Amino acid sequence: MLSEIVAQYTSEPTGYGAELTPGNFLARDAAKQFDSLSFDLPNAENPIDFLNTYTDVKSDNDNLIKLAHGTTTLAFKYAGGVVVAVDSRATQGSVIASQSVKKVIEINPYLLGTMAGGAADCFFWERELGRRCRLYELRNKERISVAAASKLLANMVYSYKGMGLSMGTMVSGWDKTGPNLFYVDNDGTRLKGNLFSVGSGATFAYGVLDTGYDHEMNKADAIDLGKRSIYHATHRDAYSGGYVRIYHINKEGWEFISLTDVDELHWQYADESRNRGA
Amino acid sequence: MSRRYDSRTTIFSPEGRLYQVEYAMEAISHAGTVIGVLSDEGIVLAAERRVTSKLLEVGLSSEKLYVINDHMIAGVAGITSDANTLIENARVQAQQYYLSYGEEIPAEQLVQRLCDLKQGYTQYGGLRPFGVSFLYAGYDDHFGFQLYHSDPSGNYAGWKATCIGANYSSAQSTLKQDYKEDGMTMKDAIALVMKVLAKIMDTNSLSSENLEMATLTLDADKVVHRVYEPKEIDTLLKEHDVIKSSDDMME
Amino acid sequence: MECLMGLVGKDFVITVTDTMAIRSITVLKHDEDKTRELNPHTLISYCGEAGDTTNFAEYVQKNVKLYGIRNNIELTPGATANFVRRELADSLRTRSAYQVNLLVSGYDHKKGPCLYWIDHLSALAQVPFAAHGYCAYYCISLMDRHYHPDISLDEAMGLIRQCLEELHRRFIINMPRFVAKVVDKDGIRVIDL
Repeated sequence: MLSEIVAQYTSEPTGYGAELTPGNFLARDAAKQFDSLSFDLPNAENPIDFLNTYTDVKSDNDNLIKLAHGTTTLAFKYAGGVVVAVDSRATQGSVIASQSVKKVIEINPYLLGTMAGGAADCFFWERELGRRCRLYELRNKERISVAAASKLLANMVYSYKGMGLSMGTMVSGWDKTGPNLFYVDNDGTRLKGNLFSVGSGATFAYGVLDTGYDHEMNKADAIDLGKRSIYHATHRDAYSGGYVRIYHINKEGWEFISLTDVDELHWQYADESRNRGA
Repeated sequence: MSRRYDSRTTIFSPEGRLYQVEYAMEAISHAGTVIGVLSDEGIVLAAERRVTSKLLEVGLSSEKLYVINDHMIAGVAGITSDANTLIENARVQAQQYYLSYGEEIPAEQLVQRLCDLKQGYTQYGGLRPFGVSFLYAGYDDHFGFQLYHSDPSGNYAGWKATCIGANYSSAQSTLKQDYKEDGMTMKDAIALVMKVLAKIMDTNSLSSENLEMATLTLDADKVVHRVYEPKEIDTLLKEHDVIKSSDDMME
Repeated sequence: MECLMGLVGKDFVITVTDTMAIRSITVLKHDEDKTRELNPHTLISYCGEAGDTTNFAEYVQKNVKLYGIRNNIELTPGATANFVRRELADSLRTRSAYQVNLLVSGYDHKKGPCLYWIDHLSALAQVPFAAHGYCAYYCISLMDRHYHPDISLDEAMGLIRQCLEELHRRFIINMPRFVAKVVDKDGIRVIDL
């Protein structure tokens, strides 16, 4: 019964759903099937206006959908690879929706994506990116490069430009060319770089990160720099907080380093500066 | 045996031939001759027009030589009605290119586009190939003056001097013998065309009635194409002793 | 906030672009190349809406490259500019128009160096010198003052330097780095300012 109703109001998105019968199986072109993915759009003149009518971050009206926003994420390349650090807070308006969000998406053992902006948008599109990267690997018998993966993501979100997607992400990883880092956002911007920070707390993170950055630093210092930068951002940005999650990438792929409560870090750093003062 | 394979254009014979396409080419070798000669200064095209009846109005319009755009003229041999649609297509393509790029289409590209169309008719079912060959005289900034020939199969090639239609092989051997590789002027080119005409056509009946001529030249860096008036053609024919002048006839 | 400049010299075109990638109040990148080489003698520089810029530039780049492969001759700068304008004009009538401003600079083997100015409303003009963005307000008058058609490369670079100095002096936005590229009969190359 329910499935009938659902079927009535949804059209089959390409690549999913619809049972495979011997009849329609032959008609399917696997390559095409997995290349395009299209959504039904609201039947409105302007999708953004439509979305704004139903979403409001600030209002108290419970009927409106509140999108999860507010984040600090950062990633930088250095001599030893790439460090990726993120906070874990999700806010919906002035409410902290969660303190334990995982804002790093493990696309494959060599690729990481970070999430900032709309949680659902980031999660969905980076999962979709993961699927495409896997297909690329199966078809070409080699791992996708970070440049290509980030371009896939940029092209996907660019095709939905102006329709209300919200995401600022860093795609990082290790490929044949070594460590790589790209910034991709919902404008369709895609930038190659050594150091990026994204989210409402990014300015705070940048301050600590830029001044402490040294390309030749060792792994422990690099990880500490990432951790501290996120901590300072969570300290000043109300929309960032929870835990600092750190990943490190080298030629063996990514490695999860730590998940630390910012409260713990606060006192640890406070102790350190007190000891230095003594 | 071969009968079984020549009713359709799209089927190869066991010997690997496309009979319909070959028949189309054969049809052209009976059509009015078209000669093209490339010189350093420009290109000459001359075409024989078959006059089937003396009641026919001739000379009102050119039926063998066509202007495609400001930089290209073409001579046709074969079925005129087929040629008309292709010429129309070429004109549209040329203007479409001009619309897209703000420049005249390079000569070879226009030839190529037309040949793509011709080729299509040798491959898709239920269609008959175009029964026309063309000589194109074109100019572009990339390669200067160019003379191309295309046939019903969609093949094309660039030439210094060539000929299509009736008696093309004897015309070609004369062209081959007398073509000067370097320093050919327009005057030389016209003289060569006249010489070939004298050789392959019945000089008794040759006149502006059954001959068309056009040139493509540069004047102060601008491309000029000129279709000759009947009078000018008669003068040329006399000048080059292709036909006897009326004074001679008197004697 | 972005800055594109171009100037046609005696036998070359020079283009100068800033190198900042900005989002909101943050400079995300200080060494972004806002130009694309279309073929050995044609270069476009671009600025405008994030995402649209690179997307459109690469779309054009790939099409011009395809033309070269298909036809064994390269599209001339003039034809390229016309093509770019047309693509932009076609997109202008859709709901998702590209908001991109461009300069097309190139060296035509027949006609010499040339520069085309195209804005996001697909107006096209062939010009001796041009600028897009706020920097136009500062630099165009300087070019009006000092430009002459047979300007040498050294002179042109001097003029560009004057423009950049003025930007540093008067323009509120800090643009620490610019990239200059020259197109001439030998192709495209980066030059130090």
